[in-house]
Amino acid sequence: MKNSNMKRRTFLKVTTVAGGGLLVGCSFSSPKLMSTPQASKEELGMWVRINTDNKITLILPSSEMGQQVHTGQAMLVAEELEADWKTIQVVTAHVNEEFKRSSSGGPHHSSSQGTGGSSSIMGWWEKLRHVGASTREMLIEAAAQKWGVSVSECEAKNGSIHHLSSDRKLSYGQLASTAGKLSPPDNPTLKNPAQYRFLGKSMPKLHTPSIVNGTAQYGIDVRRPGMLFAAVRQSPVFGGQLKSYDEAAAKAVTGVEAVVPIPRGRFAFGSTGDGIAVVADTTWNAQKGLEAMDVKFVGGDTLGLNSSKVSEKLKSSLNDMGKVDVQAVKVLEVEYEVPFLHHATMEPLNCTADVSTDSCRVWVPSQKQDDCMEAAKEVTGLSQDKIQIHTMMMGGSFGRKSTKEYVKQALIISKFIQKPVQVIWSREEDTQHGTYRPASMSRFQIGLGKDGKPIQWENQIAQQSSKMLNQVPPLRWFNFDPMTYPASVHDGIIFNLPKKHFYKVEGVKMSHTPVDFGVPVGSWRSPPNIINVFYTESVMDELAHLAEIDPLEYRIKFITESPKHKAVLEQVAKQAGWGTPLPEGHGRGIAINDWFPLDEDVTVVAQVAEVSITNRGKLKVHRVDCVVDCGLAVNPDSVKAQMEGSIIMGMSAAMFEEITIEKGQVEQSNFDDYRIAKLRDAPEINVTIVESEASPTGVGEPGVSPIVPALTNAIFAATGKRIRKLPIGRQKLV
Amino acid sequence: MTTLKINGKQHKIDVEPDTPLLWALRDNVNLTGTKYGCGIQQCGACTVLIGKRPVRSCGITVGEVAGKDITTIEGLSPETRHPVQKAWIAEQVPQCGYCQSGQIMAAVSLLERKPNPTDKDIDRGMLNLCRCGTYTRVRKAIHRAAEMMKEVS
Repeated sequence: MKNSNMKRRTFLKVTTVAGGGLLVGCSFSSPKLMSTPQASKEELGMWVRINTDNKITLILPSSEMGQQVHTGQAMLVAEELEADWKTIQVVTAHVNEEFKRSSSGGPHHSSSQGTGGSSSIMGWWEKLRHVGASTREMLIEAAAQKWGVSVSECEAKNGSIHHLSSDRKLSYGQLASTAGKLSPPDNPTLKNPAQYRFLGKSMPKLHTPSIVNGTAQYGIDVRRPGMLFAAVRQSPVFGGQLKSYDEAAAKAVTGVEAVVPIPRGRFAFGSTGDGIAVVADTTWNAQKGLEAMDVKFVGGDTLGLNSSKVSEKLKSSLNDMGKVDVQAVKVLEVEYEVPFLHHATMEPLNCTADVSTDSCRVWVPSQKQDDCMEAAKEVTGLSQDKIQIHTMMMGGSFGRKSTKEYVKQALIISKFIQKPVQVIWSREEDTQHGTYRPASMSRFQIGLGKDGKPIQWENQIAQQSSKMLNQVPPLRWFNFDPMTYPASVHDGIIFNLPKKHFYKVEGVKMSHTPVDFGVPVGSWRSPPNIINVFYTESVMDELAHLAEIDPLEYRIKFITESPKHKAVLEQVAKQAGWGTPLPEGHGRGIAINDWFPLDEDVTVVAQVAEVSITNRGKLKVHRVDCVVDCGLAVNPDSVKAQMEGSIIMGMSAAMFEEITIEKGQVEQSNFDDYRIAKLRDAPEINVTIVESEASPTGVGEPGVSPIVPALTNAIFAATGKRIRKLPIGRQKLV
Repeated sequence: MTTLKINGKQHKIDVEPDTPLLWALRDNVNLTGTKYGCGIQQCGACTVLIGKRPVRSCGITVGEVAGKDITTIEGLSPETRHPVQKAWIAEQVPQCGYCQSGQIMAAVSLLERKPNPTDKDIDRGMLNLCRCGTYTRVRKAIHRAAEMMKEVS
């Protein structure tokens, strides 16, 4: 792994405060602040705070959204610290340079404070262990000093330092003050894997107890003294303007205190229209006020757009790129299409802000603390030192809570009323103002040689480019969206990207046309693979059948340079009983994925789905087998949970989900018309994690994509019907 | 003034009788364990018990439940000693956890009605949505809780 940038010398600073314990912070990011007598506990103890009562607080750089990153990151620190797991508590870091990083080794991420790309464990793997090891060594030195012995006679174990030749021991709390006076080591010694007590073992998730007794605090649960609640309505046509509203009618509703217009904003993901908020003593009264107000909007960027026009535009963009004359023994010519998708997090967007003339506090479920800070600076005009961003637990995110429009709304309203306020989007607002997985269409024209292998592979893609990429150098200089290239089993080298596709295929040519519909699009758990892997793994399956070769065997022919991919694919096939007889009407489908497609170090996941289709065309998923190689699985049960959840979410997307547009606005508005998978849809899922001593790679996203083509390939195996357009539920299966 | 009996305790609140129980719990009584998910009784995140019956609190008004026994997630066992909570911890069910208070309340009620639920009973009885996809573990945890409840009785 490329972590040389993490290995900075003397990056730790330690301090004690009166009555406190050991505070481990850093020295290079804010040396001035660190040396001021006014510096707070938060500013000094940036990574670890050890109290004299032995309680240890770990300040973690990543946001918790269900991926169990808090537990995983705490394990990294606690392992090297030799902490007693029972004494660990965690908080998400405040906004500071110290917690910024380039979120993975690839060129696609700029340095920022946020969480995404399934990169929180791999990206902080070195640094968090380093923090733990440095702290441990200082505690050992403190004990050695107290006892007047050599450090080699002392050992750290489960929250205490033991003197080996006597039975003396001192707890971390007892040593904290002395340790705080020492200099941190330059190069602490990290454990070797054989010494691990936590890493690689399933640890119970830190937040589970508070979730099951209802005390866990999500963004939506923030309560501040004197706080009011706001309900918002935004132009249903994207980019539309506020036309009229009856303020008096809203204010006539019990509990309503204010009506606040929200100006439109342009963001990286697209444009929001105007909005308006009603502020009241409770969310219910705010919602009633909003209903009474009869808000009307006019105009907008998507006026006149509907879903057939989206399909037509994608299709005409493919046609503009032109078809190619493919000369071969056998030719496959197919078109694939996927719809817009919504994240549909169970916790809708919300944000709490408290803005006064000289300070600003924000409590927000967010993947992007940097952007929240920028929003706060922009709205309040205050400098960063007057602003505090508190990152709350998220009730799901999957990429959605990485924008700042909902944060700005809370800030604007709180600034207007000069009181703390919580904005909650109704489910309807949440559904109709998403940052959707883009709709996309792809055409493949592939000619096979006599041996069944492609000799010509022509591929065209039409979809919205991620606008975010255009802002990230050096990607903006590509006349191409690198996020589409894995859709075409391409060698990245053609586009000056380091990575090569694991399938080695000859004669690949591709083109991409970005199409802008004015519909906001963004990252939906595993972009771009949630689109690309459906394309590539369906096409591979189609080619295998065309060549009359078993789909597993066919894939392996092209995995000539990546033993890891081959091994995972073979293992999942074996686990699923690939090739063994099935009951009448059943079929199996296989697919593979790696993540992140532009990185050198990737997680590889392969899945086999077994389905059946009733005479009436009803699809049933019976069983899904999954094998994942993510290097060292830091917390195997979390890895397993991520695979299980990813399979359900990917199934849900493939089978049911679709955002459609009519008259420029999203047609769906709630869970009654945006259907997601229910418990009864969940199949038996068997996950196997490949044993590995390699450094860990991400697991939050890679499992979502392969299930989509695994399902459609299984449907083909069962029925001979090839699904080339999602969702499956819209297609006739018999 | 309306009086609500929540988790065995009387709460006097000043709200319109047409206020959904969900918002009264969250904004007036400050019991935030019951979650808002959809407002139209589709997702189940706001499930509470009225007596022993599971009810989606977004779809029932304060006026309708005044004086009745209301149990929320906070009333189950703050020390997480209820068998369903214990089973949820043992199976490590939650991911983001947002829907889980509703899932747990629905499971408690299901086990009241069906102490030995089959997979089919669980499919039919558990209609709460979970976006993280914890369903396979919800199913396991309900079976485990059923076993634990048998051992106790």
